Amino acid sequence: MFQSLRLSMAWLHTWFGLVLGYVLMICFFFGSLSVFDREIDRWAIPETRFAPQTMPSYDRMLAAIFPRIEPEAEELDAARARVGGPLPAELPVMNWSAYTTHRDPVLALFAEFAVTNNPNDPYDHVHGHVTVDPRSGAVLPHDRLKIGSEFFYPMHYSLHLHWKNLGYWIVGLAALAMLAALVSGVVIHRKLFAELFTFRPAKRTGRSVLDLHNLTGVVALPFHFVFALSGLTIFAAIYLPVGSTMLEPLAMKHAAIAAEARGLAFLPSDEKAPLASVDAMVAEAKRRWAARGMPGEVGFLHVNHVGDRNSHVSIYRAGSDRVALVGQAVHFDGPSGRVLHEEPPQAPASAINDFLTGLHLQHFEHWLLRWLYVLGGLTGCACIATGFLFFVEKRKRRHAAAGRSGARVVDALGVTAVTGMVIAALAILVANRLLPADLPHRGGWEEAAFWGAWLLAFGHAAWRTAALREARIAPAWREQCWAIAALAVLAVVLNAATTGDHLLHTVAAGQWPVAGVDLALLASAALAALAARRLRRRERAVADPAGVAGTTDTATTEAAHA
Amino acid sequence: MTDTSPSAAEIASRVAAALLGGYGFVWGFASLGIVLGVAAGLPYEEAQTLLFLLAFLLLLAAFCWAFVAHSVARVWAVLAGGGAAMTGAAWLVQRTLL
Repeated sequence: MFQSLRLSMAWLHTWFGLVLGYVLMICFFFGSLSVFDREIDRWAIPETRFAPQTMPSYDRMLAAIFPRIEPEAEELDAARARVGGPLPAELPVMNWSAYTTHRDPVLALFAEFAVTNNPNDPYDHVHGHVTVDPRSGAVLPHDRLKIGSEFFYPMHYSLHLHWKNLGYWIVGLAALAMLAALVSGVVIHRKLFAELFTFRPAKRTGRSVLDLHNLTGVVALPFHFVFALSGLTIFAAIYLPVGSTMLEPLAMKHAAIAAEARGLAFLPSDEKAPLASVDAMVAEAKRRWAARGMPGEVGFLHVNHVGDRNSHVSIYRAGSDRVALVGQAVHFDGPSGRVLHEEPPQAPASAINDFLTGLHLQHFEHWLLRWLYVLGGLTGCACIATGFLFFVEKRKRRHAAAGRSGARVVDALGVTAVTGMVIAALAILVANRLLPADLPHRGGWEEAAFWGAWLLAFGHAAWRTAALREARIAPAWREQCWAIAALAVLAVVLNAATTGDHLLHTVAAGQWPVAGVDLALLASAALAALAARRLRRRERAVADPAGVAGTTDTATTEAAHA
Repeated sequence: MTDTSPSAAEIASRVAAALLGGYGFVWGFASLGIVLGVAAGLPYEEAQTLLFLLAFLLLLAAFCWAFVAHSVARVWAVLAGGGAAMTGAAWLVQRTLL
């Protein structure tokens, strides 16, 4: 587009990085929190603060709980709209499944129900789910929002924008922009090795911010590249739905061939039959895994065509001990309990894909690596945030002189996307501890607190960036840092006050999920307070220009960033 | 950069070519790759997984190239034209496999 490769790449880097950087902040920050989603769930749902459990007995416990699952009310409403009238009184169950990981004290059970009177879609169905305490079989209250795994985690890949999968597409576009920003960033810079050791915090803001942008971009370059790429491949079927559109005839033909080869009936027979002992099937699956040199626990258990002669039970291994997210599934005939099919080792492309998926979703048990993931994700946040800051720093004097508002708008959105997002995440935790336990739609109110706080932060950012008109540092950054510090401490205090699980107790008792969240909150508060004090000092230094350090040495390197 | 800055129309055309053209090109590449893989004896799922792994790397390359190439008309011709040609070819190959 421009005369040189570097200028074209710099344009791409600046503008796609800016526009989609706001989305990338969300992906990286909530992705980082998702690394400890189960632990955040424990913090948010005090009655689930006990040790992780393995899959309980199907025959003695789950068999009695599954039939109690009801379809979700909102899904029934949506189904009525699809059908254009009332639904049958009883929706037949299609399948049941149970899912757990090595970090889950509670067990999630799912059911799918057939919507039998939709003339346009013979496979129309709705879902239901419950969460159970596997120690007793007690079903937990339904509207307890799992803030980690049901709110922060989906936030990082769907933005909770479900209309036509819009959120997935925006995140996918942001992932492409991330990959392109990495490629173009490397082209712009060339001196990758030197960037690793260059950070001059005492230089003026533009220089030190650019140093930090380059350093964080380079130091975690492979991490950022692999996560953006694997994020795309994990949802490839959404982004490139060839198999459900243009190539559907071929895909369906091969799906039928594959199902037949594995002996798994694609459709029910409409002839009833009871289920054999699932515990015996689990024992057989474990025996087969051990025989293959990979003993393990059950991660996912699926009963298809429930109650039908064609029912089959698929038992998948939990991937706690390896990166690749493989199930090593063993499939059993439901009525007889005999083995229908044992999944063979993966073909090469599938094996690579399972490795990439597992690397991203990290079901494996490795606490040090888990923390490194958080560090990698937050490094990405720092890289994106410093990108915003550099963009503003470079233009604010010019825009202020010309009376343009571009730098101010970018700064206000930057405040909203950086500190405002953290405020929103803290607000949902505070709301979680403040709302009455028996409040109807409690989870909905918690989510409202999240979005409301974010909106307030945006309003505050728009108001308190007026200083950009005089090319000064916006006080919005400092004030929101103080809000973060206050909310984080408040969340820790509220947790102690409402549950009695204060840090002395949780650390002494080794309740690390809860203690870890509290400690992370306190660390965030300390960091935010430190940042606020430093920002104060900078604001004063800018107001009194005599105190400003180094000014002119960087014009040439920055030119490439224009 | 000032005197050779591209016009707003060229920028819009580049961005559209990078996103829409790039997507169309990758769609064609993935669908043609899958049907050729199946024709060569791969199971459908394996062929699709292989092409999905390659698709986003190709999308990244096409996306970046759209901003680097000298002629925006050439970018459109290669990405949209190539994408349409490969999509058509994939459709024809699929017919022979059903």
